[in-house]
Amino acid sequence: MISHMQHHANLAVRKQGVVGRRDFLKQLSATSLAAGTLSWSDAISVSADELRSRGMACIVLWMQGGPSQFETFSPKPDHENGGGTKAISTSVPGIHISENLPHCAKVMDDLAIIRSMTSKEGNHQRATYFLHHGYLPMGGVKFPTLGSNVAHQIGDAANTLPSYVRIGSRLPNSGGGGFLGVEYDPLVLQNATRPPQNTTPSANLPRYERRLGLLDKIQSSFAAGAGAQVVDDQRKLVDRAADMILSPSMEAFDLEAEPSELRASYGEGDFAAGCMMARRLVEHGVTFVEVVSRGWDTHQDNFNRVGELTSQVDQPMATLITDLKQRGMLDNTLVVWMGEFGRSPKVNPRTGRDHYPKAFNAVLAGGGVQGGQVIGSTNPAGTTVADRPVSVNDLFQSVYHTLSIDADHENISRIGRPIKLVDGGTVVDELFV
Amino acid sequence: MVSKSSSWFILAVLVFCWVEFADAAKPNFKSVAKRVDAAIAEEVFSDSDQPAPQCDDETYLRRVWLDLVGDIPSPEEVIAFSLDPAKNKRRVVVNQLLKSPHYGQNWARYWRDVIFSRVLEDRALLAANAMEVDITERLNNGDGWDAIAAEFITAQGDVRQNGSTAIMMAQSGRTEETTAEMSRIFLGIQIQCAQCHDHPYDRWKREQFHELAAFFPRIGVRAVRDVTQRTFEVYAADRFNNKRKKNNETRPKAEHFMPDLDDPSAKGTKTQPKFFLTSASLPFDSTDAERRQQLSQWFIENEWFAIALVNRVWSELVGEGFYEPVDDIGPDRDATAPTAVKLLAKEFESSGYDYRWLLKTICATEAYQRAARPRRGPEDTPMLANVPQRLRSDQLMNAIFTALEIGESTQDSSPRRPNRRAEFAKTFGYDPSIPREGVSASIPQVLALMNSPQINRQLTAGRSGVLGYLLEDIYDDEQLVVELYLRCLSRQPQAEEMDTALAYLEESPQRRFAFEDLLWALVNSAEFQHRK
Repeated sequence: MISHMQHHANLAVRKQGVVGRRDFLKQLSATSLAAGTLSWSDAISVSADELRSRGMACIVLWMQGGPSQFETFSPKPDHENGGGTKAISTSVPGIHISENLPHCAKVMDDLAIIRSMTSKEGNHQRATYFLHHGYLPMGGVKFPTLGSNVAHQIGDAANTLPSYVRIGSRLPNSGGGGFLGVEYDPLVLQNATRPPQNTTPSANLPRYERRLGLLDKIQSSFAAGAGAQVVDDQRKLVDRAADMILSPSMEAFDLEAEPSELRASYGEGDFAAGCMMARRLVEHGVTFVEVVSRGWDTHQDNFNRVGELTSQVDQPMATLITDLKQRGMLDNTLVVWMGEFGRSPKVNPRTGRDHYPKAFNAVLAGGGVQGGQVIGSTNPAGTTVADRPVSVNDLFQSVYHTLSIDADHENISRIGRPIKLVDGGTVVDELFV
Repeated sequence: MVSKSSSWFILAVLVFCWVEFADAAKPNFKSVAKRVDAAIAEEVFSDSDQPAPQCDDETYLRRVWLDLVGDIPSPEEVIAFSLDPAKNKRRVVVNQLLKSPHYGQNWARYWRDVIFSRVLEDRALLAANAMEVDITERLNNGDGWDAIAAEFITAQGDVRQNGSTAIMMAQSGRTEETTAEMSRIFLGIQIQCAQCHDHPYDRWKREQFHELAAFFPRIGVRAVRDVTQRTFEVYAADRFNNKRKKNNETRPKAEHFMPDLDDPSAKGTKTQPKFFLTSASLPFDSTDAERRQQLSQWFIENEWFAIALVNRVWSELVGEGFYEPVDDIGPDRDATAPTAVKLLAKEFESSGYDYRWLLKTICATEAYQRAARPRRGPEDTPMLANVPQRLRSDQLMNAIFTALEIGESTQDSSPRRPNRRAEFAKTFGYDPSIPREGVSASIPQVLALMNSPQINRQLTAGRSGVLGYLLEDIYDDEQLVVELYLRCLSRQPQAEEMDTALAYLEESPQRRFAFEDLLWALVNSAEFQHRK
């Protein structure tokens, strides 16, 4: 009842033009900014200190299409459902993963494998949405995606680079800022080997700066009248965009700056470049980076195709973890490997595996997560979770917990409805033993 | 004997009289506009309030162009309108614009954004074009909002052929989601909050949401095999078998079941179709056609149907609705000027839900014609001024194309190539249902306008861009400055702005560079990107 009453009060405030919570009026803290009301520009000027990132960051390695658990982190060499994929030992005695991941096997000390992920969504669109938002799509509510929520909660608004970057274009249903607003949308890089779109100034530097000066001047008359607010906002945006593209931080997008030896250690390909870029971006103050690997929807020819895919992902993932560790960044950077669901235990007649949300994998490393362990298990056939089921909500709770974000925090949707970052689920405590 | 030419004349007069008669049967828009203004003044203003004066002609012209046809006027149109001494020129230009086919397109695109900003799955976007084309035609054809809404509620068929399937396709044919959107869009009432619990601050009970959902269980969405392109259909069924469901389809069900919250795997409670605003109901076993046709009729007959539309369009044109947000209204919400909005809604109903009549009426109000001021604070008096609105993606793209004289090639709508307009919308699109103070520009938008090679090519004084020929045609610098202001902002530069431009020209190494920079700055200005 109390929460309903309070909600009423909030609604009354909101209806008069301030889309916000009551506590927003009491104290301008990072929490109240999370109500999604102040523009980023206000955010900077009002409480830059409070918004300062707590130094935590998150890198999600997203396997689009649903990666096979049997050919990655849960091999079943002794069962026909294993499809003949062999298991290899890792740096942690007793833990075996698929032969497709020799590099990851060497960094097993830092990995926590959850073998008991379980969900009911076997449709790509809905499952991709679910594993990005912690919610299923619901008419009328535009939930923010995980990266946007993280950027909103702990992103450094004063940083010249945006807080959320996604590497890999067109990832349907992966979401954006939702009701938090476009300022929490990810900056999307089509490809890590090219700089982000439209960041090359449209004229040489002296002329570009003259242009910016002229733009500022010609805005005066609109700014003096009806456009007072919008010009003010736009001037800040222009400043921020110009700051970004002219700032030294733009070198974060330049992989050529990496020593060739290190580049070689990440391996070849777009995903490798993406992983290396992710590390560079986090170094430059970006809070959330998502790197996309495509093609995991292996209904046919599963074994060859997953072999090929793992060869693109294994080395970069392992090197990313080693690289972060060597730079002392791993304790503050959570790395998550996941996709929208797993693949069927039964191998179909086309030597493919179909969608299987009932039992699949996710892997976490860094950010204080205790590595060198396996959480949960499936039965020998891999058809069902035998021990310690972990729901998608549990996983989201754990991710927020690792990043020191209160998962019970309520944002207020556009229609004044309180929406928790995650609704339900509990932190997987074993991750932090 | 009647000559051929005079018989044409008589025919023309007859047609004219008929058109006038048809209009005469509708409420007189000028008198309704006056009464709405009076009601607002009565209900909202106090003696100390100072409403903004009427905006100048240039502002009015750019405003009605953007609001009615989604584009900006050319310099010639601005000059002609400013110099026109006719007293009724504002009314005349509104009538002219409402006859343009771009009127229907502009508002079809508005509704496309309303519907497709809330898709459940991105695949639904493939239906957006058909919806835009269909609704454009219906609006241009003069179909009433009641007929358009009824079609949206009752449609079925291939989503690339029948644009009225859009809402169901956007919600993947899922019963509860479709229900929520129908109520939100056509009644402005967000009853879906009652999906899982009684509405926290409205009167709606959980049962009422599911009773409304019970009008939609018999629809489904499935993929259609088509040799040339991927498509889906919204279909309905009144016979049911147990064929295995495919992965990406939603199948019709005979009846809707309200889930048991304590046991989500249980079948739930079978729920009878019942309309929450009036409690009118249909029996179980009603066919799909009976359910959806009946519901569309009950929607339209309800007062919130007209209020929702009138409030939405008012909000879009005047800058603030009587109710905000426009899709969260209903009997438990307070309007800033309840008499005014009910009056306008009632007359809109009497007009036969005539969309053009509504636009014409709003454009004739003082409230619409006032000069703009920054968005008011929560404590300030509403409706004292119009409010600058950020252009929707299509309006902005049209404005750029018009200012820079870029043609939209036919290739742009080829299904195989990425559509330039859709690409533009990915950066500049926003959900028009959300309160505009929540719509802000973004870094990618600013970057795109400042630096995108596509736009900057057109700003360059080369062979492709408009500036090339303007520089050759107009020798006089002041005149060229005026030309660029007219093109981009539909107004002349003020004295200070002229000084700024000429001083900039002085400092620049080349005349050409200076005008390129000025055009760049105008396109990048907040004024260009807003309608004020």
